[in-house]
Amino acid sequence: MNQTDRKDAINPFGKLNFLVVDDFENFRLSMRQMLRSCGADKIELVAHATPAIQYCTYNHVDVVLCDYNLGEGKNGQHILEELRHKKLLSRSSLFLMVTAETSKEMVMGAREYQPDAYLTKPLNRAMLEKRLGALVQQRGALLPITREMDRENYPEAISQCLQLLPKQPRYKTWLMKTLGELYFIVGDLSHALKVYDEVLAQRELSWARLGRCKVLLGNRNFDDSVEGLKALIAKHPDYMEAYDLLAEGLEKQGKAVQAQQILEKAAEHSPNALLRQKHLALLASTNQDIDTASQAWRQTVTLGTYSIHDNSDHYLSLAQSLSDLSEGHPEAEGAEHAAEALNVLSKMEKRFADDDSIGLKSRIVQCRVHAGQGNQKSAEKLLGDLRAELETLEDIPADLGLDYAKTLFRLGHDEDAKSLLSDLAARYGDNPETLQKIENLLDEPVGFRQKIEARGYNRDGIKAFESGDLDGAVEAFNRALAIVPDHAALNLNLIQVLLRKYDQAPDDHSLLTTCQECLRRLEGLPEQHRQHRRYSALARKLKGLTA
Amino acid sequence: MTDHNIDFSMVLASAVHDMKNSLGMLLNTLDELRTEHEESLSGSSKFNMLQYEAERMHNDLVQLLGIYRLGENNLSAHIDEHFVPDFLSEHMARHVPLLDGLGIDYAIEADDINGFFDDDLLTGVLNNTINNAIRYTKTRIRLTAREQDGYLVLGVEDDGTGYPESMQHTGTLSFKSLDFNSGSTSLGLFFASSVAKLHTEGDRTGSITLHNGGKYGGGVFEIWLP
Repeated sequence: MNQTDRKDAINPFGKLNFLVVDDFENFRLSMRQMLRSCGADKIELVAHATPAIQYCTYNHVDVVLCDYNLGEGKNGQHILEELRHKKLLSRSSLFLMVTAETSKEMVMGAREYQPDAYLTKPLNRAMLEKRLGALVQQRGALLPITREMDRENYPEAISQCLQLLPKQPRYKTWLMKTLGELYFIVGDLSHALKVYDEVLAQRELSWARLGRCKVLLGNRNFDDSVEGLKALIAKHPDYMEAYDLLAEGLEKQGKAVQAQQILEKAAEHSPNALLRQKHLALLASTNQDIDTASQAWRQTVTLGTYSIHDNSDHYLSLAQSLSDLSEGHPEAEGAEHAAEALNVLSKMEKRFADDDSIGLKSRIVQCRVHAGQGNQKSAEKLLGDLRAELETLEDIPADLGLDYAKTLFRLGHDEDAKSLLSDLAARYGDNPETLQKIENLLDEPVGFRQKIEARGYNRDGIKAFESGDLDGAVEAFNRALAIVPDHAALNLNLIQVLLRKYDQAPDDHSLLTTCQECLRRLEGLPEQHRQHRRYSALARKLKGLTA
Repeated sequence: MTDHNIDFSMVLASAVHDMKNSLGMLLNTLDELRTEHEESLSGSSKFNMLQYEAERMHNDLVQLLGIYRLGENNLSAHIDEHFVPDFLSEHMARHVPLLDGLGIDYAIEADDINGFFDDDLLTGVLNNTINNAIRYTKTRIRLTAREQDGYLVLGVEDDGTGYPESMQHTGTLSFKSLDFNSGSTSLGLFFASSVAKLHTEGDRTGSITLHNGGKYGGGVFEIWLP
């Protein structure tokens, strides 16, 4: 073999700092032995995540060789995420994941950070030298680019990529991939598209197809993007990133239910990606599928144990979902959800004790849980404390205020809830997302089961109206309004049907009286409300008829 | 009460997974032993046998898992561009301790070309084929790579007696061709053939060929990738 030319060349490992992370001492020692015989000199050995991260905080490391499975606690992927997330490891340094798996997707499936390479066990010296040699050589060749990426000087990184492309055909894939990503980062979507199209013109490669669909999504070309991703998944049912992107595309098309189904499928294939579970939980909540949402939040919380992405919001959302599930379910199942909710909240308070507002957030939900289980007394007592505590706050933040209003509604303090929400609406007038949440809560200040019921009647009413069955429509809308009397769109729907009936029977003035009752319920409708234009149009029409 | 709804193939797969990882540890330890006791072990046929058989089992289990995923419709080729000479020499490196121990010569004759393939899947195929060649060769093996008729052709050649008449063929193997009665189940060939089939480009599909001859006059395994 041509070992001789390597020995003649300058030792490529000698100047580099290595960090070996493995929980087995034997592996650590044998890895050091192998690295040394390859010419490495500066080698640090650690057994677990904490010392690994600590070492990278205070020392520059060029190559991390990290075992994926480190026993109890954080695994290799957690370390990679933490190092890259906290920028403790520069782009120009290599993170190599050592694993016993022959298929990367099987264990990983995480979408945010990927190692520079996987080294598959069993490893021997000859393999390590070959593989590592090639990777270190590649690192050196690409250094002009990764260095600029570390400095976040993306335009310069792009121009370095373009310069290296004709010179380094061996790294063409890396260069084209990186070039596409860089163009995307700087927002130059048309050049990003060109990169992917150029690759695809030569060969159908899944990463390029994914990149192209990502650009299409960025260009708001949702239909083509979704179609491309569906085809990609049909061909590669184990390509998790394609599922994530497809769910995003479907969501932007307004197809939240389909998006949820796609993520459920992805989570089934690869359940260990925290951000995917979180995305699924949020989607399922939007779809009022609280069972799925709870399950996904539960997973998000569990996966957060060792993850850099762990957040108190995950605990809170899980408790909120469980509280929703427990409401109006005083039997065993409801009690079980209620108990779990309280348990999650107490864990949250312990884990995030540094956060000043954590106790407040927790008690707002606790209060609802007690009320939902018919413990009115404990609920009211908690609410009393809450009121006192909230009064000391100058401005209640939006999310806290919204959740507090929800609790007020649930305990029957509707007027307090409404005044709090109108206060919030005034303060967050320039934030459409918050306004939307306020409107939704005002429209439907009830539990999710009632929400689903009311929405069902609303759909029935619309269907009846469209097929010309006006009486059926009136009956359905009335049923819905019995559950959510202040729902703006519903009241306006009913008015519209009644006016159509009035067209056919102009002598029946009781129809107009009912219309006026509906309108009165919406008197306080703020101008920025989505239904406001429809409201004023119908009000004008009614005025003309009753004048 | 017993649960009769056991998904037996799932149980098998996780057991195989576990065994495969254990063998990985075993192989690592064997490599270390060889390094530590180089003088006394370098020519030991028993030690070589130990390493060869462990390697063989490891390969079989990797393939078994691959075939399991294939059956679950959960295996697809993630084709990427790779520099072929690097790829081949990395795989030869895995077998170097055993090759040296057995006194088998080895060489790589690859054009400086980039190829499109799934490196994980090809790793399984190459390891198995090289391991097989080690078993049947007399004195040497070589890995080859060339481009022919728009295909990337990776080959493993040896100077043994070659494949028996009944095994020589061209194209793809079906699951039915596995013969569990004869000593060799051809599991490796079935896996290689399945991996080849997962590689497609336009309307062209990969395939494997087995024949005798080549530069060394022994068995020649080739995988053709579009």
